[in-house]
Amino acid sequence: MSGRKLKLSLDGCAVGLALLLALLVRLNIFPKIPW
Amino acid sequence: MSTSVAIEQQTSTNRSGLLSLIPGVILLAAIGYAGKFIEQSISRYGKSHHLSLPNIEYVLWAILIGLAISNTVRIPALFKAGIATYEFWLKVGIVLLGARFLLGDVIKLGGLSLTLVVIELAIAIALMTVLGRAFKLRPKLITLLAVGSSICGVSAIIAAKGAIDADDEDSSLAIAAILALGAISLFTFPFIGHLLRMSNHAYGLWSGLAVDNTAEAVAAGALYSDAAGKIAVLAKTARNAMIGFVVLGYAIYWASKGQAETVHNKALFLWQKFPKFILGFLLISLLATLGFFSKEQVGSLGNLSRWAFLLTFAGVGLRTNLREMRQQGLRPFIVGAVGEIVIAIVTLGLVLGADKVFHLS
Repeated sequence: MSGRKLKLSLDGCAVGLALLLALLVRLNIFPKIPW
Repeated sequence: MSTSVAIEQQTSTNRSGLLSLIPGVILLAAIGYAGKFIEQSISRYGKSHHLSLPNIEYVLWAILIGLAISNTVRIPALFKAGIATYEFWLKVGIVLLGARFLLGDVIKLGGLSLTLVVIELAIAIALMTVLGRAFKLRPKLITLLAVGSSICGVSAIIAAKGAIDADDEDSSLAIAAILALGAISLFTFPFIGHLLRMSNHAYGLWSGLAVDNTAEAVAAGALYSDAAGKIAVLAKTARNAMIGFVVLGYAIYWASKGQAETVHNKALFLWQKFPKFILGFLLISLLATLGFFSKEQVGSLGNLSRWAFLLTFAGVGLRTNLREMRQQGLRPFIVGAVGEIVIAIVTLGLVLGADKVFHLS
């Protein structure tokens, strides 16, 4: 059960962080990200 | 490392706060960046001395450095919580990678992948069940190996463990077998792909279909080429989407034998098992399709995704402890290995067939 809860929260946090980063890039708050 | 240990570490992490993650995340970043640095240094040296040196991708360097560290020195406990976040970075990377796919391509490629996934699922489950019985493995261990090899490795085994009420020993054995085979596939798949001169598209599809654990599938794809890595992510994501259906099937089977809890609300069960990061991937892909991001911003999101994968690949190496794997017993490993070889051959045939029919470019 704890595994399932953890998985949900991990997925939620990962999606949340990715969306936040995408928003920062969209608003040009993040400069061009190099590789 | 057994997953129950990983979960305990994560849970204790929640208690002690995000600060405890920092050392391990820094270690992941340092190893990943060292891999990138080595790749670039070799390339620069070759160019400046007019030598044609083999291009070994940062992915392989990061995995090798991680493997060398985890198998030669004892990693201090201080780093372990942060190292366990490699799966988190994998998911962040996959969601961000959605920006590099137009939704139409996702539906087209995802549809083809899903068709192949359904065939792969049926073959993998039947094969593992027959092999497991032939080698007289415990029934629930057979179920876990079948789930792990047919869908998505460790996550699927964890999801199935709770649903079929399997014990910790069986889960650890199944996870160890799947991880060991995933590590082997990292080195064999690119070799076979080059030998057969597979296109990026066909190879990526094959990695996504045949390599079990998501991190290893993405790494095996990226080891071939950036484009193959992208396709591997999509095919593997389509495979991950099936997790709920397979685990539900097994939960109903074991409940009918009185050895697991009955599933009352099947729709809720499917939703609970569905990997939610796939929704994030689709959302970013939809936004990119609608022109929410400029071309330059899509490039930046793609690069952010690569940085996230960099941490993942370092974690794949650090997590692979060959000594621990050797101690897990031979029979589950043999069943897993024989099954995986057959699955790899069958999926290779499927992909090459699809390549001929659909001309995957």
